[in-house]
Amino acid sequence: MRNIWIIAKTTFRTETRSKLLYGILIFAFLYLFFEIFLAELVLRELPMVKSFGLAGIYFFNAIVALFLGTTSFFRDVERKVVYFILAKPVSRAQFLLGKFFGLCLVLLLATAILGAGYLGLVAYEHGGFDGLGLLAIFMQYLEMALFIAFALFVSTFSSSLLSIVYTSAVFFIGHVVSQLVTDARQIGLKGVQLLLVQALYYVFPNLEKFDVRTLAIHDVAMPFHAVALAFAYAAAYGAFLLSAAIWIFDKKEL
Amino acid sequence: MLEISHLTKIYKGRAVVDDFSLKVDAPIFGFLGQNGAGKTTVMKMIVGLLEPTSGEISLDGAPSASAASKRRIGYMPETPYFYENMTGLEFLKFCDELDGSARGPAAGARKGHYEALLRRVGIYEARNAEVRTYSKGMRQRLGFAQALVNDPEYLFLDEPLDGLDPVGRREMKETMLELKKEGRRIFLNTHILYDAEEICDEMGVVHEGKLKYAGPVKEFAAGKPLEERFMEAVGAREKAAPQAHTSPRA
Repeated sequence: MRNIWIIAKTTFRTETRSKLLYGILIFAFLYLFFEIFLAELVLRELPMVKSFGLAGIYFFNAIVALFLGTTSFFRDVERKVVYFILAKPVSRAQFLLGKFFGLCLVLLLATAILGAGYLGLVAYEHGGFDGLGLLAIFMQYLEMALFIAFALFVSTFSSSLLSIVYTSAVFFIGHVVSQLVTDARQIGLKGVQLLLVQALYYVFPNLEKFDVRTLAIHDVAMPFHAVALAFAYAAAYGAFLLSAAIWIFDKKEL
Repeated sequence: MLEISHLTKIYKGRAVVDDFSLKVDAPIFGFLGQNGAGKTTVMKMIVGLLEPTSGEISLDGAPSASAASKRRIGYMPETPYFYENMTGLEFLKFCDELDGSARGPAAGARKGHYEALLRRVGIYEARNAEVRTYSKGMRQRLGFAQALVNDPEYLFLDEPLDGLDPVGRREMKETMLELKKEGRRIFLNTHILYDAEEICDEMGVVHEGKLKYAGPVKEFAAGKPLEERFMEAVGAREKAAPQAHTSPRA
């Protein structure tokens, strides 16, 4: 555990010094700042302000997660920084898990900064404290952590550029896969065809479980069991992805 | 003592290290070979970065890649790369923490140790500068410092003199001789014969993954220039001197 923490801490330190990360956060803040003016001119209603705010956080966090997940681990292996680390009494599993938790910490920092900006914006627009908005941001964070786990998994066998392509594709599929099953049933697919669609549903992450923005925007509380289920799903799917990543990384010739 | 027994590494059907056996007990052992001869592959297997296809490597009787052995090892890879936005001091601390030496109540006192190491390798003035600002020679020196951070009994250095200017090479060699006096054992990969002749007590010659010679440097030279003997050992002068062959002494 100690080695995982040391690697996580170092990952956090090195990634939070990245200029690209600051660039993304500056753009995110500009977006939130711009929304104040937009709210006065066009949006007018609080739900619209919330909708744009949460979507903005989601979009910029997705960029941060994609950037971190596809570059950080791959860069350490490709540039052979990993030689120093694995020549010490550190296992490959500890290294990979350390990278994952370190990247999740960076994402947590980015989410906290943008979340604070969002809550301030809603309060400024006379919305008070948006607790449901905070829950929606937390759920988005879970989704992005899963996103990082997937990107790490892909990075163990693929280049950085291909990891971006694969991870983005899975991100997209993850949002349509539950709808796909519903549509398949509606149009009357049966037998092997329906099984194939259902297989897709179980293989790809169901990211719609984490999307509670619409509920938050309209002040509809999400049942506790749904939050707990989404959390358990993220933990289980994430553990599976990281286990697979460790298995592949263990076999990789450095 | 380092013992390598019937070590083989196969990459994509080709044996890059082929039934390699060697016993090393010399204070400084130079491992010589042309580029691509298999020196780095052997060293990576010793320190646990690569899994051998077959064979065993032990350090004083314990597997060299075990956590216990790794605590007694310092390793400097060829052309070291670092986290570019960390300072030299931060990088040393990171490596020390991973080794376990910096844990517990002594952790706070380790800063003096890192600074002494950076002084020893000649980059103390740059200790708080980010690694991205370091020259190639400074990176070599930092790589050397991190190999020493856990006070290792065994040092495995892969081409440590590459990228250093003449003054840097001299200083590095003097440091290695000092380390020898301190009782540490050094295993050195190099393709520069002059360096091996100057500081190594024993040497090994590897060619196409096979050990061609292992033993004292003077015995290998046998009164001839080292370069000439090396060329013979790796078969580069087979046509000119077909009788020149040496046997592994492992």
